[in-house]
Amino acid sequence: MRLHRIRLRDFRGVHDREVTLAERGVTVLQGDNEVGKTSTVAALDLLFDAADSSRRLEIRQAQPAGVDAGPEVEAEVSTGPYRFVYRKRWLRRPRTELTVIAPAAEQLTGADAHARVSAILDETMDRVLWRGLRVEQHTAVGQADLGGQDALTRALDRAASGGTGGTAPRPDPSVDDGLVERAVEELRRYRTPSGRATGELRTAEVRLAAAETEYERCRAALEAVERDVAARDRLDADAAAVRTRRRAHAAEVAELEDRWAGLQSRLREVETARGRAVLARERADAARERREARDALVGAVDADAAVVTQATEALAAHADEHAAARDEREARRTADAAAREASTAARQQADEAARAVSAARDRAELADLAERLRRVEDATAGLQRAERVLAATTVDADDLADLEDLARDLMRAEAARDAAAARVELTAPEALTVEVDGETVMLAPGETRTLPVAGSRAVSLPGVLEVRVRPGLDEAGRDDAVRERARELAERCEDLGVADLEAARAARRGADDAARRAEEHRAALARELAGHGDAAALRAAHDAVRERLGETGPADLFSLAEPAPQADVSALRRASDAAREAGDAAARRADETAAACRAAEDAVRDADTRAAVLTERAADARHAHARRAEELRAAREAEADADLAAAEDERLVQAREAEREHESLAAALADDDPDTVEVRVVNARAVDERLAGEATRLEREHAETTGRLQAAGLEGWHDQHAAAATELESAVRDHDAVARRAAAAQRLHDTLARHRERVRRSYVAPFRAQVERLARIVFGSSLSLEIDEDLRITHRTLDGTTVAFAALSSGAQEQLGLCARLACAALVDPSDGVPVVIDDALGHTDPERLSRLGAVFTAATAADGAAQVIVLTCTPERYHGIGAATVVPLAPSRRPGERERDREAPPAGVDDTPARAPGTVVDLPRAPRAG
Amino acid sequence: MRFVHTADWQLGMTRRVLGARPPKEAAGGLTGEAQARFAQARLDAVSALGRLADERGADFVLVCGDVFESNLVGPDVVARACEALGSFRTPVLLLPGNHDPADAACVFRRPDFVRRCPPYVTVLDTPGVHEVAPGVEVVAAPWRSKHPLTDLVGEQLAALGPASPGTLRVLAGHGELDVLDPDDDEPARIRRDGVLAALADGRVHYVALGDRHSAWTDDADDRIRHAGTPEVTDFDEVDPGHVLVVDLDDRAAQVVIETVGRWRFLRHDARLDTDEDLEALDAWLAAHPEKERTAVRLALVGTVSLRQRSRLDDLLAAHDHAFAAVEVLAQHSELATVPDDADLDDLDLHGFAADAASELFAAASPGGAADDEARDALRLLHRLVGTPR
Repeated sequence: MRLHRIRLRDFRGVHDREVTLAERGVTVLQGDNEVGKTSTVAALDLLFDAADSSRRLEIRQAQPAGVDAGPEVEAEVSTGPYRFVYRKRWLRRPRTELTVIAPAAEQLTGADAHARVSAILDETMDRVLWRGLRVEQHTAVGQADLGGQDALTRALDRAASGGTGGTAPRPDPSVDDGLVERAVEELRRYRTPSGRATGELRTAEVRLAAAETEYERCRAALEAVERDVAARDRLDADAAAVRTRRRAHAAEVAELEDRWAGLQSRLREVETARGRAVLARERADAARERREARDALVGAVDADAAVVTQATEALAAHADEHAAARDEREARRTADAAAREASTAARQQADEAARAVSAARDRAELADLAERLRRVEDATAGLQRAERVLAATTVDADDLADLEDLARDLMRAEAARDAAAARVELTAPEALTVEVDGETVMLAPGETRTLPVAGSRAVSLPGVLEVRVRPGLDEAGRDDAVRERARELAERCEDLGVADLEAARAARRGADDAARRAEEHRAALARELAGHGDAAALRAAHDAVRERLGETGPADLFSLAEPAPQADVSALRRASDAAREAGDAAARRADETAAACRAAEDAVRDADTRAAVLTERAADARHAHARRAEELRAAREAEADADLAAAEDERLVQAREAEREHESLAAALADDDPDTVEVRVVNARAVDERLAGEATRLEREHAETTGRLQAAGLEGWHDQHAAAATELESAVRDHDAVARRAAAAQRLHDTLARHRERVRRSYVAPFRAQVERLARIVFGSSLSLEIDEDLRITHRTLDGTTVAFAALSSGAQEQLGLCARLACAALVDPSDGVPVVIDDALGHTDPERLSRLGAVFTAATAADGAAQVIVLTCTPERYHGIGAATVVPLAPSRRPGERERDREAPPAGVDDTPARAPGTVVDLPRAPRAG
Repeated sequence: MRFVHTADWQLGMTRRVLGARPPKEAAGGLTGEAQARFAQARLDAVSALGRLADERGADFVLVCGDVFESNLVGPDVVARACEALGSFRTPVLLLPGNHDPADAACVFRRPDFVRRCPPYVTVLDTPGVHEVAPGVEVVAAPWRSKHPLTDLVGEQLAALGPASPGTLRVLAGHGELDVLDPDDDEPARIRRDGVLAALADGRVHYVALGDRHSAWTDDADDRIRHAGTPEVTDFDEVDPGHVLVVDLDDRAAQVVIETVGRWRFLRHDARLDTDEDLEALDAWLAAHPEKERTAVRLALVGTVSLRQRSRLDDLLAAHDHAFAAVEVLAQHSELATVPDDADLDDLDLHGFAADAASELFAAASPGGAADDEARDALRLLHRLVGTPR
């Protein structure tokens, strides 16, 4: 494919621009950023790919802002035999127009035009290569994915096959790749990538295995039936054989049984003889036993006589012992009676002494009680006297207090009167006698006598003078009060029956005294009556003691004998103690003699018992002896001793005879060997039994086999086996066929793959030669490259140093990538070729290498009919090194309105219509489109 | 006296050539269906000979062995056989043969047979003379096991005294005559001399045999006969599908051969070299009537190209559906497939694919290793190239 010109209208920032490209070699489109270089390439892609109805994001982004016009792209392209002009407008009034110029003129619009262009491009152009040979802006120039590129493959195929010069158009070898894919698909129907069976093959294998299993099962079942059939025949034969053997054996058994029966009867005879011998021997033994019993009886009678003698002797010996015991007992009894009497007398004496002591003690107590009684009576009399005094007294404590109060009031009244009364002081310079109120008063010289004037007073010097002093009215009142008080006192005293206060006080004192005395008497009474309660009880106690003493007369306290002196009592007590001790000793002695007496009694009783026992024994012995003797006598009467001995001898002889007879019979039988006969009979019977068992077993097995056969008959094993065999044969055939197909697929795949590998390896060489040719311009002549079958550079060797591609510097990777693309462009057939588009690459390349790369561009595009190379750049100096480049400077293409606003002068020669030569840009001002 | 002589019913037989039922496929699939129809055909033949016996007024039907394919056929086979016998109006005599011997597993003694067996059916499982009608005796020589060690018929004849006057005797046996199969190792062969002698001195008047599936008559005495199977069982049978209607007196037998079988087992030998040969084979197959009751065995000879081989496969596959079976005999087929230049040109390959095809071609051609796998790979390549991408 070759691009002749591209026109953009209202596409992103471009208002209207047409770029004409060089037919071959390098075209450098240079311009500032945002001038629309990349847009040009993007517009081409959209033109070829997007239908005019598309509203893809790229298209919507291509619409310039604020302009009511759809983006529009037009391109003139030649590819293969075709040359056409293709125009598209999107979004606003979408439109597609195609004008085919060569080989035949065609005019198409709309979807037809789009379809036609797609068909033309598919037919003539390797679209994948078109993408692969492009270097986008701002991306590292890496490896191009060139393996499997149809156009390149064709070119390499041509190169590998020695360059036939392309006289005849060769068919597309890429068909073969599809063939390999289909071969793989075919193989995958039978085998997985790891080689395991799958799909049809697996199904066939499973079916075959199942069929084999089923066939085996049926075959085994059939064989089992066959075995059973054979077994039945064998069992029938065996049963017949057993029957024959049983019949043959029966005769032998009968003969043996007869012999055995004969022996049996003789055996019984021997047995009888043995019985007789045993019986005779038993009878002989019996006779011997009888004789021995008689001898024993005689011995027993003698023994009994000895026992009787012994018993009699013992009885006699005991009689003396018995008498001695009785004497002893008599002596003991006498001693005991004497001791008991002595004890009684002593006890009486002791009692009397104790009574004397008791009487003495009672008398002392009686005296004491009498004394007490007397004192009680004294106290009682005193108490009565005092109480009489108390009763006579009229003045009690309260009355006395009243009197005292009254007397005090009187004194106060007097004092008040005296204090208020006028005084008459009498002073005589000389001893003088005066009469005061009729009394004579002696006045010593200088003595002053003061006289209160209560009532009227009369002081008179006898003869001299009579002075009358009368008190005033007040004083008279006071005097009345005194008199009132005095009267009250006197009345009260009269009430109380006393003369005056003093008398009252005396009366009171007398009463108190009497009360105290009464208390004392009461205390004395209480003291004397302590322990008795009251006088009556005391008297009762006194009377009781008197009674004890035997004095029944009237109580007379003072007529009682004086109590015995203490000394007499002590003597009495001592005598009493002595008497008691003597009594105790006598009692002890009496006890001792009593015990001795009892012991003697026991001894006598023992002796009595023993005597009785001995007597009994003697009697028994005599009795036994008499009985034995009687027995012996009776026995001898029945059978004399001599007869017994004779019988014994006779029986012994008989027994020996019988035993001899038995022995002879037994020996005769033993000669005929009955044991052997018995063993043979038993064996014959066992054989018979075994044969019967065998017959039973055969019968049972026969029944079992028959049962199995009947069951098998209903299973239809033949049908199952036939079906299994048919299925197995079919499965084998099926499996063989599938396995054959699988093997064929494997073989075809392997063969194809092997040849493709070989061819791919052959493609590497021409490609490498071309890349190396270009790369040596940059890196020097020592460079060599390693390239794999997918046409990727894997290693670079420079000056003998080999480095993996990935390990190379970004610059080197970029340069090698560019070389590979340019090599590809150089290799591909001109009719197959596509333009190499490089959008501002080589950012990593140093100036030295840039100039060398320029040479690479030239070398790559030097050949006649070499591909177009389009370089887009904003830094033209990078590409100055390219010799044969057509440089197209791009200026911004703005709308007229914008230009007016910018007040820019129109560029010179704007009205000239420039010639349409390659490498020119026509940027015409034009009227805004309608709409 | 008239009776029907038949043998070798082989009820319960299946034929592998008729195909297996593919696993896990419902009953009534194509291949299972052919087996079922074949089984039904055998029963139909039995019913047909029953009707025939009735129409001809036969006194009895004598079946000389191999009534059943095996003693171990399923209860369904037994039941259907009894049903078919139930439609008879003539007494039937069944002789145990080598397929259904009167051994411990004998099908005639199985409860399912005994319960369903019609009363006029007699099983000749005891050797010796059986009186089947006044003045008619059948001398039975049944098989008692699968591998008898003696000539069973000869034994019976040796023990046989002369027939009482006016009595017709038919000997029923099963097995090959020693003249038909001179095999010294087989002890159970029927000695022809003894049979001829017995016929000659009038101890028997007719020798009815079974075991040979084709109708056959002895040259020396036409009273020694095989009836053959009433319905074909294999490709190598000469004259199957008949029963014999025998009119017998003490001097001679009048025999009418009646056909009851409807199936055919055909073997066809064909030479294939050219496209014309292929067309001829196609035409031969197409010309057959009653394909559904026909099994074909092809023995092919010749040399064909890949393309012709594909065509052959196609036409066989097409006919296979119409016939009960179409079998290509592998061991007898000497059909070589040799790719020719046209085959290679047809491929129209280039580049490495062309190289690969050439390699396979060389390996497959007779000059090379005549490699079957390579030939198959080439055929696959043809198919893949033919597939649109």
